[in-house]
Amino acid sequence: MLKYSLNRLFWIVFVLIAVAFITFSLMHLVPGGPWDREKELAPQVIENLNKKYGLDKPYFVQFGSYMWNVLQGDLGVSYSYQDRGVTEILLDGLPKTATLGGVAFLIAILIGVPLGMAAALKQNSIIDYIAVFFSTLFASIPGFVLGIFLVLIFSVSLHLLPTGGWGTIDHVIMPAFALAALPAAYIARVTRASMLDVLRQDYIRTARAKGLAEYVVLVRHTLRNALIPVMTVIGPELAFLITGSVVIESVFSIPGTGRLFVQGIAQRDYGLIMGTTLFYAFIIAVANYVVDVLYGVVDPRIRYD
Amino acid sequence: MLKRFLFVFFALFVILSLALSAVGCAGEKASGPQELRVNLAGEPDTIDPNKASWADQITCASLCFEGLLGFTKDLELKAVVAKEIPTTGNGGISEDGKTYTFKLRSDVTWSDGEKVTAGDFEYGMKRMLNPETAAEYASFYYDIVGAEEYNAGTGSADDVAIEAVDDTTLQIELVKVRPSFLQLMAMWPTWPTREDVIEEHGSQWTEPPNYIGNGPFVLTQWVHQDSMTFEANENYWGKKPKLEKIVLKMITDQNAELAAYKNNELDMSRVPTGSEKTIMEDATLNAQTIRYYDLTTFAFQFNVTKAPFDNKLVRQAIATGIDRVSFIDNVRRGIGKAATSWIPPGMPGYDEDLGTEYQFDATKAKDLLSQAGYANGDGLPTIKFSYTNSAGNQVIAEFLQGQMKTNLDINVTLDGMETSAFQALVNAEQHQWAWFGWGADYPDPDNWLPDIFGTGAGNNHTLYSNADFDELCDEAALELDNDERLAKYAEAHEMIVDDVPIVPMFFRERFWLVKPSVKGLVTTGLDHQCPGDLFWNLVYMESE
Repeated sequence: MLKYSLNRLFWIVFVLIAVAFITFSLMHLVPGGPWDREKELAPQVIENLNKKYGLDKPYFVQFGSYMWNVLQGDLGVSYSYQDRGVTEILLDGLPKTATLGGVAFLIAILIGVPLGMAAALKQNSIIDYIAVFFSTLFASIPGFVLGIFLVLIFSVSLHLLPTGGWGTIDHVIMPAFALAALPAAYIARVTRASMLDVLRQDYIRTARAKGLAEYVVLVRHTLRNALIPVMTVIGPELAFLITGSVVIESVFSIPGTGRLFVQGIAQRDYGLIMGTTLFYAFIIAVANYVVDVLYGVVDPRIRYD
Repeated sequence: MLKRFLFVFFALFVILSLALSAVGCAGEKASGPQELRVNLAGEPDTIDPNKASWADQITCASLCFEGLLGFTKDLELKAVVAKEIPTTGNGGISEDGKTYTFKLRSDVTWSDGEKVTAGDFEYGMKRMLNPETAAEYASFYYDIVGAEEYNAGTGSADDVAIEAVDDTTLQIELVKVRPSFLQLMAMWPTWPTREDVIEEHGSQWTEPPNYIGNGPFVLTQWVHQDSMTFEANENYWGKKPKLEKIVLKMITDQNAELAAYKNNELDMSRVPTGSEKTIMEDATLNAQTIRYYDLTTFAFQFNVTKAPFDNKLVRQAIATGIDRVSFIDNVRRGIGKAATSWIPPGMPGYDEDLGTEYQFDATKAKDLLSQAGYANGDGLPTIKFSYTNSAGNQVIAEFLQGQMKTNLDINVTLDGMETSAFQALVNAEQHQWAWFGWGADYPDPDNWLPDIFGTGAGNNHTLYSNADFDELCDEAALELDNDERLAKYAEAHEMIVDDVPIVPMFFRERFWLVKPSVKGLVTTGLDHQCPGDLFWNLVYMESE
């Protein structure tokens, strides 16, 4: 188990270096650079900017010095936000995005898992149909549509909640639900399918046959096993939620990290692109790692020896 | 058992939803008495006046800084920190037109109470020219002796002829006569900055409370990516603003901005592209709209070195073959003015009657095309139109494609590109035909003609080259008599309209919603990011 965990950790480092290199290369290959403007800058001005940001140096020197800085925890400078470092920008946005993502994650689980379970336990009943209907519905509506819809109802019509921004709990409610809708629907469907599968297993019949209380059968035998596929889903889902959603952050004007990524690409802000990509890759790699390790804990059939 | 189990889960779900909705009390409170809330539409990259180049950056800096000169609401020059506008009459401009002497007011203070001196202007301008600052507007000031060399790293700051003779006298020497120099001195890159503050805080000097300026407001809070709060500067030397507070939000989505306006979280809002007609049909909202020209012209620019656009008749045929009235009505939804010339209304040099011969006339257009040797579009090479693939531009491109097909039987291939890639293509003059917009940096034709159509000029992406045009612009650039100068530019403007390196399409109008409680708003064509932001010190709030 320990050996497995360490081995996987090594691979995370390798993956991050690969991600950094690929991103760095692609970003320089894409046509257009950070100084391409509608009002073209004077050649001397561009030269000054290149010198200031080290873009006048050979490609591998740039990559090498970037990675050296990253190892020391410095994600470099932003080419657009001239007075702020990428690390500072990311750390500034992270608590907001993570809070929102965390709340959305809880909502998604608290809605998704019970809904899926209820649907499975009462298969082909009205509860099941309602659950399937809603999970299909929310799986099909894009987050921004739901977001705008919520704003129109709760802000513009009812004046109950602010349309966007950050600071109070009021600001979290709508974006968290808009963000949670899709994963909740997804989790509900996976839970339902997985529960149905487990409920048909021989060991459940055995458990019932030996006279265990239905509660014990459900929680100890069914739920625990049914949650394995769900965990596979929610690990990356959590990573996705706490790295932020570009769309939801734009619709609700949330000063998080999600918006930075797309903005960085559009403006060819090499520093911001590298920083956000590495950061995303790190979170996703860690989330998958945790899930893999947890499999062994949850599922008695899986052992890493 | 199962029922209880389910019940517990559903109860939890219901409680959670109720709890979350209960904490959601009423939305934002109505604005305080003298507080203006506007959307800046994003986080400014920097608010350092010496470095700024984008509208949102300048909006912030202009609340907190003032230069030697400024613009009136009619875009005439006015003295701000300077006592008077230098002229040859008052000795501010030397006989040869190359030395400028600015006399400063002695009562101007920084927001921390210190006096503003000529030395602060010298420091600010030299800092802007310092290659390490890498200021994007530095090249505008290359006419100052030693400026270009210093900015290129071959000269030193001491050799730049910007000198604080004493605390209230600033002298600047130019390499050659530059009639529009005073306009440049009314722009943000020349605003004074504080050496001691910048030395002490480095790049953090733009964070509150380090952001020491000499303008009517001070920056008191900056929640990055969320909002900035400005409050009236207690040490302001001029007439104090009526507003106590200005909050600039950073809402990036246009529809979110409009929703915030409707929910009374903002006092102004852009009208999102595509919603113009809906707003105009709503009686209440329509009464809150403002519109005005913002010194920006949009056009289709040819690459005149590539066939078939190397043929002037083809260019003229196309200019005549586009129905601009229908364009304004259908594509721009009634906002903006059809353009047949280049310099927009509100600028000296605008000529309403110029280019009327290129008003839409399908017969004439077909005629011109057959004169060019391509009757009914036969024999034309493939034509590709490039543009940034935003939703708005897509419609424009499709309109153009339709017009070409219907009116001239020309097939146009559309090439929508991602913004930076498109800019790189055009800046390298690799396009055949492209969408183009230009906004004024300062209100003078020399910002509109030589830099865009002069042979080899930095922003000449049509590769247009006309010796007569160049000569006229060179003459105008050295002409000290303003009427003569403008007459020369008028002639040069006519040449451009006649040679059609670009097809002017429309003069942009700003179309915004402003709450009736906002009073005293003065809009100008030079407004930066938001309506009236040059004169927000005159705005006040009045509740109904």
